[in-house]
Amino acid sequence: MTRTRFSDPETATANLARLGDLSAGFVEQIAAVADPDTALTSLVSIAETADGPQVIEALEADPVLRQRVMIVLGTSRAIGEFWRRHPEYVMDLVGERLLDRPATEPEYREWLADVADPDALRVRYHRELAAIAARDLNAHTTFAQSSAELSDLAVATLDAALRIAAAEEADADLVRLAVIAMGKTGGHELNYVSDVDVIFVHEPVEGADEQRASAAATRMSGAIIRICGDHTAEGTIWEVDPNLRPEGKHGPLTRTLASHVAYYDRWAVTWEFQALLKARYAAGDRELAEQYLASLQPQVWKAAEREDFVPEVRRMRRRVIENIPAAHRDRQLKLGSGGLRDVEFAVQLLQLVHGRVDEHIRSPNTLEALRALTDRGYVGRRDGSALEEAYEFLRALEHRLQLFRLRRTHLVPEDPEDLRRIGRSMGYTTNPADNLVKEWQAHRRIVSRLHEKIFYRPLLEAVASLPEDGLRLSTKAAEDRLAALGFSDPKGAMAHISALSSGVRRRATIQRSLLPAMLAWFAESPQPDAALLAFRQISEELGDSPWYLRKLRDEGTGAQQFAQMLSSSTYVTDLIRRAPDAVAMLGDDEALVPRDLERLDTEMTAAARRHQVPEGAVRAVRRIRRRELCRVAMADVLGRVDVAEVGEALSAINTATIAATLRTAEATWSLEHDDRALPTRNAIVLMGRLGGHEAGYGSDADVMFVHQPLEGADLDEAKACALWIAQLIRKMLGAAGADPALEIDAGLRPEGKNGPLVRTFDAYAAYYEKWSDTWEAQALLRAEPVVGDPELCARFRALIDPLRYPEGGLSATQEREIRRIKARVDSERLPRGANPNTHLKLGRGGLADVEWTIQLLQLQHAHHVPGLRTTRTVEALEAAAEADLLSADDAHALIESWRFVTRIRNGVVLWRAKAAESMVETAADRTGLAHLLGIGQDHTEEMVNDYMRITRRARKVVERVFYE
Amino acid sequence: MGKQEDFVLRAIEERDVRFVRLWFTDVLGSLKSVAIAPTELEGAFEEGIGFDGSAIEGFARVHEADMLAKPDPSSFQILPWRGETPATARMFCDIAMPDGSPSYADPRYVLKRALAKAADAGFTFYTHPEIEFFVFKNKPDPGTRPVAVDDSGYFDHTAQGASQDFRREVITMLEAMGISVEFSHHEGGPGQQEIDLRYADALSMADNIMTFRTIVREVALSQGKWASFMPKPFTDHPGSGMHTHVSLFEGDENVFYEAGAEYQLSKTGRAFIAGILQHTPEITAVTNQWVNSYKRLAWGGEAPNYVCWGHNNRSALVRVPMYKPHKSGSARVELRAPDSACNPYLAYALILAAGLKGIENEYQLPPEAEDDVWSLSENERRAMGIAPLPRNLDEAIRTMETSELVAETLGEHVFDFFLRNKRAEWQDYRSQVTQFEIDRLMPVL
Repeated sequence: MTRTRFSDPETATANLARLGDLSAGFVEQIAAVADPDTALTSLVSIAETADGPQVIEALEADPVLRQRVMIVLGTSRAIGEFWRRHPEYVMDLVGERLLDRPATEPEYREWLADVADPDALRVRYHRELAAIAARDLNAHTTFAQSSAELSDLAVATLDAALRIAAAEEADADLVRLAVIAMGKTGGHELNYVSDVDVIFVHEPVEGADEQRASAAATRMSGAIIRICGDHTAEGTIWEVDPNLRPEGKHGPLTRTLASHVAYYDRWAVTWEFQALLKARYAAGDRELAEQYLASLQPQVWKAAEREDFVPEVRRMRRRVIENIPAAHRDRQLKLGSGGLRDVEFAVQLLQLVHGRVDEHIRSPNTLEALRALTDRGYVGRRDGSALEEAYEFLRALEHRLQLFRLRRTHLVPEDPEDLRRIGRSMGYTTNPADNLVKEWQAHRRIVSRLHEKIFYRPLLEAVASLPEDGLRLSTKAAEDRLAALGFSDPKGAMAHISALSSGVRRRATIQRSLLPAMLAWFAESPQPDAALLAFRQISEELGDSPWYLRKLRDEGTGAQQFAQMLSSSTYVTDLIRRAPDAVAMLGDDEALVPRDLERLDTEMTAAARRHQVPEGAVRAVRRIRRRELCRVAMADVLGRVDVAEVGEALSAINTATIAATLRTAEATWSLEHDDRALPTRNAIVLMGRLGGHEAGYGSDADVMFVHQPLEGADLDEAKACALWIAQLIRKMLGAAGADPALEIDAGLRPEGKNGPLVRTFDAYAAYYEKWSDTWEAQALLRAEPVVGDPELCARFRALIDPLRYPEGGLSATQEREIRRIKARVDSERLPRGANPNTHLKLGRGGLADVEWTIQLLQLQHAHHVPGLRTTRTVEALEAAAEADLLSADDAHALIESWRFVTRIRNGVVLWRAKAAESMVETAADRTGLAHLLGIGQDHTEEMVNDYMRITRRARKVVERVFYE
Repeated sequence: MGKQEDFVLRAIEERDVRFVRLWFTDVLGSLKSVAIAPTELEGAFEEGIGFDGSAIEGFARVHEADMLAKPDPSSFQILPWRGETPATARMFCDIAMPDGSPSYADPRYVLKRALAKAADAGFTFYTHPEIEFFVFKNKPDPGTRPVAVDDSGYFDHTAQGASQDFRREVITMLEAMGISVEFSHHEGGPGQQEIDLRYADALSMADNIMTFRTIVREVALSQGKWASFMPKPFTDHPGSGMHTHVSLFEGDENVFYEAGAEYQLSKTGRAFIAGILQHTPEITAVTNQWVNSYKRLAWGGEAPNYVCWGHNNRSALVRVPMYKPHKSGSARVELRAPDSACNPYLAYALILAAGLKGIENEYQLPPEAEDDVWSLSENERRAMGIAPLPRNLDEAIRTMETSELVAETLGEHVFDFFLRNKRAEWQDYRSQVTQFEIDRLMPVL
């Protein structure tokens, strides 16, 4: 039955046979440990040494010893190997020889006092390590205790190593040398396997030659590093890492106290002070070490006053939470957001910010510091204890991971066998692997929102009139913290936080619980202060709308997306300010999909119809338009729609808006003319970007008005009617109002601004037959006759198709004419002072370059390549490539440029609610744009370089395809 | 702040430095300098020193004139010609945008990016230039002919030679600034000198070359002379090149070296040379960036004019020098096109990129050119697949324009500026009526 506990029963049987006649109880005990297979294999290897049989005998005779030994063997293969080399030390675990309490630092120093050579030190170290593991695994000690023990063993080992080094050093008596423990060793929180961070300090004894003394100290320091770090037959102890010393890797290994003090006085930077937080005496001259600590540790608390503190901290934080390779993200304990290092960093940051004025929170130990921060009100009570528990769990898990092979690892394994072993070693007896993973995930979730809990939530306490419990953050402390986190106006920010969270109404309660997360999100963006202000304004506007509060209360994606809008898009923020109900769409996947033309049309028409007066009807239409613009913009900011979809969606919105307005205008004419039927049928031809389904945020609508008088109608009246309607549409859509206006631009009509605003179908036909220039045919490539009377639209299409897709293509003269006009446009149309490389529309490889190129191909070939008969730029380019009019590479270069430039053009409007003619040039705009587009705030120069590269390549194609 | 910044700040106190010059280089390779007081230095390390980038050739677009110069503490040196106490020091700077990101307009960053790309592939790039220049009696006035300080020739030892003293003083100063000199001698032309710098990683070397040019000019001025790096000051004498030996290391290992291979030249080395050969026409506008540069190439002799390589073939563009036994570390190839007036940051970045491209795409090295390529007929060269280098700046620009390699390596900003500037230079030059035309045509036409 016990056999089933082994994952490899056959080997187990064979191994048991090699051990001879074990008692049933013994076998049972082997099978009960975390990893019975490993335990048994290790046991066999111990038994087969010379002293092995005695060990087995002793284990048979002593069930308590057996229990202790087997648990260790079942968790650590590495300790099994140590015992194989030294079976006699299994007896260290007999009876009271194994302490049932943590050993103390003086005890370790005493036990290691007589070790005289490096190998003896390695053996001795591993004996004590086995004992620590035995106490830990047999639940005599807690995680905090065993990691304190490990640290104490480490300092005692350094002490012994220093003594060995000094014995070998001829000049040892010329110098006093002390070793200061830093990092986890200093903080009493060492791992089973970890580098031991140290700093060396020395003083020549009185009368000694300073240089000789210093050389001796350097040699001894080097020897300590070698003794502890060498890999030998007796294994290795750990790496000693002396790189936290002044000047790091490049500085001298050891220096005098005065030199240390001078360095920290003058040169040290923030993280170096942060590191000093954990310094304690480790080895060598204790008096010297204490002088060192006494002179330097007070300086730690001045770090937060330094000028570069805030940017330095932001940089360090970014480094701490920098992305870890996706392959390991889910299994990492240490790195990444919410990893152990993140917790440690967060605790230290709070210590630096607040420890200046409050000496109660200065403990070098992470858990103790967290507890103190909680007790003194710097971290909320509940969050503090949950974090404490989670940190302890994750560290304990890390311990178990490392114990198995005594290797430094921070990855939770995937292999179910490994998980089972670790789970059982942590005390999960049933379903160890599943339970371990479940528990681990639960703790991870707690840590994952670390920043908002530990940094931001307490800020609210600072302004709350009713503190939840215990002490709370003072206003000054809260401002210090906000500044450290990147808010440039902490006083203002505190005022907003206060306004948002005060009061006893439901809204305040909900905002209080949401704010920490919002602040954390804002802090990652380029403009945290502005985002917080907008949040306050919108919250005040929306008052107590239940749906708003519900949205916020859930703290889910909706709230996060809201924060993203406020901190990265002024355009969306403005739209939301005008009509806060748009917030409702956030967090709703369904709502964040742009609506298609048919649905928009139906909705706008229905809304218009509910109104009697035209102004009311158009207001309703424009309200819907604003909501839809907001929907698309939000989806765009969230990266859910690509640039082609944005163009389609914005064009659909404007198309539906114009259509609904046309119907309203027609109805209004009848109403004002005794309900008479219209004397003429109207249609509106969409042109330019709108016709190409490529509208941008805030772009004008290019159109042409056409009408067809009914048979027998009075021609003058028909004309007057059509003109009246066109003018009404322009007026009603272009008027300023609460909702964004839509300028109707009819400049592309025959004869441009000099021509009549509306023409009859016949007038268009006559004009095109007589006068039409090549540029007009080119403009017609983008004409979409889709709004208004369907039959008239169809006739218009039939009228212009032969013009824009001319049979036989263009004549040589026409081609030359187009090229000439373009060349003139290149040199003349560019506004004064504009950068010819980065002008979005007219710049090198910009929108006009790409569009003229494909339009030339369309005029030449659309008559025989049906795919070219489209108003969409990208679609036409693809068709041209399909038909081998362009190489695939050329088409790609043009499409890439068109899409990238369009994306920049849209992005600028989203970021600052104002269009740009050229690639943005101020630092603020570039940072905002790079953040918005997901390129990253730190990569603005790359963004510009990309822009120039992509457009340059497009221009190369244009030079070849268009001009040759 | 790190160790090096501290070192600098301490050295400034200890050595009584009253001025610190922050040096950087514009796109065309001219040294720029801004002096600050030592008290400002700490701030300069933290945040950089602001300056108006639009005033620097090739730096800023119109609206983003604000730029930052951030000193590189590892380049800290006392300027020997400014006297000991109080002393003046210099540091090279990296140029950053106001948001802290490194500027794409900074030639040093161009080279840094190229080196980082090499580092990704595991390589470190070392260079060793032989810099030639002329020393004249005084700064020639416009319209007059320059007069050299002496009439000596190659390796000549001149008794009481002024140019010997000159070289000695230059070398003393170079050494004082931590720049080691390998070799120096009189070159072929009158007043022409050559000083070879000991090899170093390409970034330090580019900094060193900038320093070198400054020192040479300073020493000349201090002796009442005029030094020039103009590639070809005399019609009848050879020009000043900057032959550069290059090598690639992987850790401690020279990857150009392979025991037993032909010329001990490894496969990687061959691919590197193949990359250089293939891309040389594209990068010539940078390695030989002036109208005048092409006069040097046209002269022939030590200056290459054809794209080919050879072993100890002094007419070849790339020469694989004789191998010194038991010195695998010294395996290297010599590039003979660059001249002393190039921007070393850009030139080295492009040479490295071209060579790496050869390695990356496993280019095949064409056969070695054993003859003096000058003596071959055009058709012979054609038969052997030996292409000419661009014959003038215009040709070089036109080849560079089409090069993705150059655009990628320089970055779009520098690529664009450089081309615009060089087109303008060509345009100005093209419209000049030269003495040559007057002398030759006036009498007969």
